[in-house]
Amino acid sequence: MMVRNAQDPQAQQTSPAVVLDGYGVRAGFLRLAPLAVFAVPFGLAFGAAAVEHGLLPLETLVMSATVFAGAAQFAVLDLWNHPLPLLSIALTALAVNARHLLLGAALSPWVNALPWPLRLLALPLLSDANFADSYRSLRDGGSNLGVLVGGGLALWLAWTAGTALGAYAGSGLGDLSRFGIDLVMACFFAAVAAGDLKTPPSLLPAAVAAAMAVLALDAVPAGWNIVLAALAGASVGGLTGRLRLGR
Amino acid sequence: MADSVATMLAIAVMALTTLATRLLGPAIMSRFTVTPALEGFLNALCSSVIVAIVATVVAQGGWREAAAVAVAAGVMIVTRSAVWAMLAGAACAALWRAALG
Repeated sequence: MMVRNAQDPQAQQTSPAVVLDGYGVRAGFLRLAPLAVFAVPFGLAFGAAAVEHGLLPLETLVMSATVFAGAAQFAVLDLWNHPLPLLSIALTALAVNARHLLLGAALSPWVNALPWPLRLLALPLLSDANFADSYRSLRDGGSNLGVLVGGGLALWLAWTAGTALGAYAGSGLGDLSRFGIDLVMACFFAAVAAGDLKTPPSLLPAAVAAAMAVLALDAVPAGWNIVLAALAGASVGGLTGRLRLGR
Repeated sequence: MADSVATMLAIAVMALTTLATRLLGPAIMSRFTVTPALEGFLNALCSSVIVAIVATVVAQGGWREAAAVAVAAGVMIVTRSAVWAMLAGAACAALWRAALG
């Protein structure tokens, strides 16, 4: 759905004066700071879960600071047994983060109007919340990609701070399942899925993916059931996408 | 010691993979057109991963997991807020643990 937005005529009419500067960064940071507060408990849940899966607190913090993608980070924890399955970890991160390609594609009319070095500066903190905020402001005539960077900065700070709390102090809180924190990730994913699955065409790939994930669970090495399920669901999505638009 | 090297390597692999997904969207758009089939594939890829993870958690867990996930999905549909949905699901899981162990 994001890609279609990028192709709407309004988005294509980009003024050539797209910039990325400190004013934009500041504005984006201040606008997303209240929302970013909600990333703290999510980060806390991740920090505690990662330490429980055998990562050291410092390693957990480095992961949050450099990867900055909650869903992917939670998803790889189940694979975190030594010797680490690097390929499964990379594929899982790729599959879970593939949506960034869509977000980036939607922002492309503005991003591609910047000179090369600034394009690379604009994108490393791209995620769902600052995308939504920036896309709205750019579509409504804004021209400063700094808002994407600033919003990302607010989210990054909250995410790493939450992770640090969970990783260093999580064990001091005792059994976190008392607070349901062990299921924060699953509940967040269920919510995102419920928000996505509004239309019948999106239900079929999801049903195929869920069935594949459960059927393959005991048949393949840890984590691969997710990769198989993602490919099965996405293939169905590709087929229905083609049929729906008659091409 | 070898484990910590492997861990840092795995984190670096994740960080680079994730960075690539962030940087490549606009680069791809400047060279290719997104066909309906590709758009359908990518859209379904995201939701498929997420649904698969939830299905796995429920399959490996039990009724507590299933109840929490169902509450989160229900609250999301009613309120359209992922934050409230997440809190409601976690609260359900906490109450379940307190009441039923």
